[in-house]
Amino acid sequence: MVELLLQTGLNAIYAASYLSLIAVGLVLIFGVMGVINFAHGELYMAGAYSVVALYANLHFPFLIAVAAGLLFVGLLGLLMERTMFRPLRENPLGGLVASIGFLMVLQAAATIGFGVRMEHVPPVTQDVIIFSEKVRLAVPRLYVIIAAVVLLTMLWAFLTKTRFGWALRASAQDPEAAALQGISINQTSRIAMFIGAGLAGIAGALTAPLVSVNPFMGHSVIVAAFIVIIVGGVGSLEGAVIAAVAYSVVHTFVTTFFDGVIADITGLMLMLVVLIVRPNGLFGTADRA
Amino acid sequence: MKFNKFGMGLSRRGFLRSSATMAGATAVASTFGVQANAADKTIKIGFLAPLTGPVSAWGKPGLSGCEIWAEQVNAAGGIKLSDGDYQVEFVGYDNEYDPAKARTGATKLIREDGVSFIMMLGGDTWPGAQPVADKTGMLFSTLLPSDLAPDTQTLLAPVEVHPIYNVTGVQWMAETYPNLKTAVMCAQDDALGLPSVATYLAAFEAAGIEMLDDPLLFDPATTDFAPVVTKLISNNPDVVCLDTCYSDYVHPIAEQLFQQGYKGQIISCTADFYDQMIAKTSKEFMEGFIFQFPDFDDPALNSDQINFKDPNGFFAEYNKRFPGEWGAVSWEYAAVMDLWKAAAEKAGTADPEAVLAAMKEGGKGKHAFGEADWWGKDLFGIDNALVGDWPVVVIEDGKATIKGFGNIPEWYDKHGDLLKKHMAAYDQMWDQRG
Repeated sequence: MVELLLQTGLNAIYAASYLSLIAVGLVLIFGVMGVINFAHGELYMAGAYSVVALYANLHFPFLIAVAAGLLFVGLLGLLMERTMFRPLRENPLGGLVASIGFLMVLQAAATIGFGVRMEHVPPVTQDVIIFSEKVRLAVPRLYVIIAAVVLLTMLWAFLTKTRFGWALRASAQDPEAAALQGISINQTSRIAMFIGAGLAGIAGALTAPLVSVNPFMGHSVIVAAFIVIIVGGVGSLEGAVIAAVAYSVVHTFVTTFFDGVIADITGLMLMLVVLIVRPNGLFGTADRA
Repeated sequence: MKFNKFGMGLSRRGFLRSSATMAGATAVASTFGVQANAADKTIKIGFLAPLTGPVSAWGKPGLSGCEIWAEQVNAAGGIKLSDGDYQVEFVGYDNEYDPAKARTGATKLIREDGVSFIMMLGGDTWPGAQPVADKTGMLFSTLLPSDLAPDTQTLLAPVEVHPIYNVTGVQWMAETYPNLKTAVMCAQDDALGLPSVATYLAAFEAAGIEMLDDPLLFDPATTDFAPVVTKLISNNPDVVCLDTCYSDYVHPIAEQLFQQGYKGQIISCTADFYDQMIAKTSKEFMEGFIFQFPDFDDPALNSDQINFKDPNGFFAEYNKRFPGEWGAVSWEYAAVMDLWKAAAEKAGTADPEAVLAAMKEGGKGKHAFGEADWWGKDLFGIDNALVGDWPVVVIEDGKATIKGFGNIPEWYDKHGDLLKKHMAAYDQMWDQRG
């Protein structure tokens, strides 16, 4: 039983890691731009396909492919900001609808470019850290955990220690007041989109060898990401990380000790309970929710 | 809305009347000397299956196989009916494994494309197409006999008897490795997963293999299978059964079993793209993996009992055109077409009712893997599944190898009550499905 609990704990840490990267990106975009980005799951998919193209097909080193995935998806985010969200800044519903359209464009592009089949991404390494006979951690999963910790720490430092980060937080709190202080809303939006999209992209790139890569893989993560940001409080980065950990722990343990369908129901119940007890989420504020 | 309205409004009689009018018009045209060349006369066949999305691996490769089949048949002169030879053409419609799209597609294929027969994967999509079949009398096929029910006489399961054939794999495993005594199982919670769970439970019980836990069901949206695998292997089972999981699940589950140190037997309905699984794990880990779908270059398929024409040649041609895409269904829809073609030529017409009667005449048929019976009344309420032998396939030295053929009706005669018991427990009997 102890080994089962430890292995499940390791599984939960991995799940929390990649889900945090996706959810924090989604929150950052919403926080700064006020737009629910429905295409966020497809940005995750685009990151995974960057690894398919560069690592699996063209045999570039994995880390180069991951870095390219971050950059490519970050640029996709800039494209979305410039062509969709900025023109529709006064119309949040329009931004949401445009993101749904972009979701379909990305799915179609992946289908045309790679086909509908599941892509084969060779394992980066087959090394496994063996703590005991039944407690193991595959090294590629460790990479995801390390990357999440490093990137989220860097993001925290960026937001709290740099002028650009302060500007970003100011824009998120009150865009008009921030603009009156000389902060460029366009620039903060660009930074938010690049970072938010890039985090989804790197999550997709890092997990590409561990999941089934196909044009529709974004669906499966976006639902969990939305639950996480609602539980954490829409607009709250800390809330997103804590909710990602809470959701992953609950989901992983319930899957292991009951089954996956009950785990999904439990995840939704968790969201329901939080919405009843704290309608703005664990860390949300009324003005943003 | 238009499609739906038409679907509800076009009665079976209306459809047959329209067909008769079309046939009459064709006859009048012939009388007045408007003689078409063989190349101008075409029979259209509908292919209504998931061509995109997570289930596309059980649709798209089948359409690719049908294209090869059509080229071979057309090159040999086409389909020979009483009023001449016809070329055959497939009209694909991507239902994305969505019942509503299946309904729209069925209506479109019948009304706009004028198809004579529609092939489906079935499962979750069949309830969408069923009202159209009932209204129009169109002949449909499914790969999943669990779709069959006496309400729809024109639905056939002429090739794949999913999930019943899974009993042959378990039976072979139990006979070959009598030391395997305990098993666990996981499956996605859907119309493909649940009847297969019931079948494997019956097969394990019949073989004297104890289930250590209830089958672990997971949501089809699952991407991280580590918790599933941790649970599965926590009780040290001799056998891990992957049920009828989609290849998007079989691969990561196998990889997790490898990473979490499992060393026992694995049995699964499918192992599509198993070379990729070997690449992600190891040849040693995948050695002995049991499943149900052979590569068609297997020498065992050259025996006289096999009715699929030139399986080795078909496999070679398929891999030449679609490298790396051979999967469980690559040959199946083509095998359905072999039966349909033989029945249409026997009936001398492509009329759905006449083809159905010709196909089921005598209660026997030439299944791809040998002579088989139209069977299923006990289990599906209607004898519309063509059931006989099915291969048991094992990965040996990195290659799928047929180890033998199991006879499904023979197993059912001995253990049918077990199967019905477990099907009923999962609400999978034909009279339980809503």
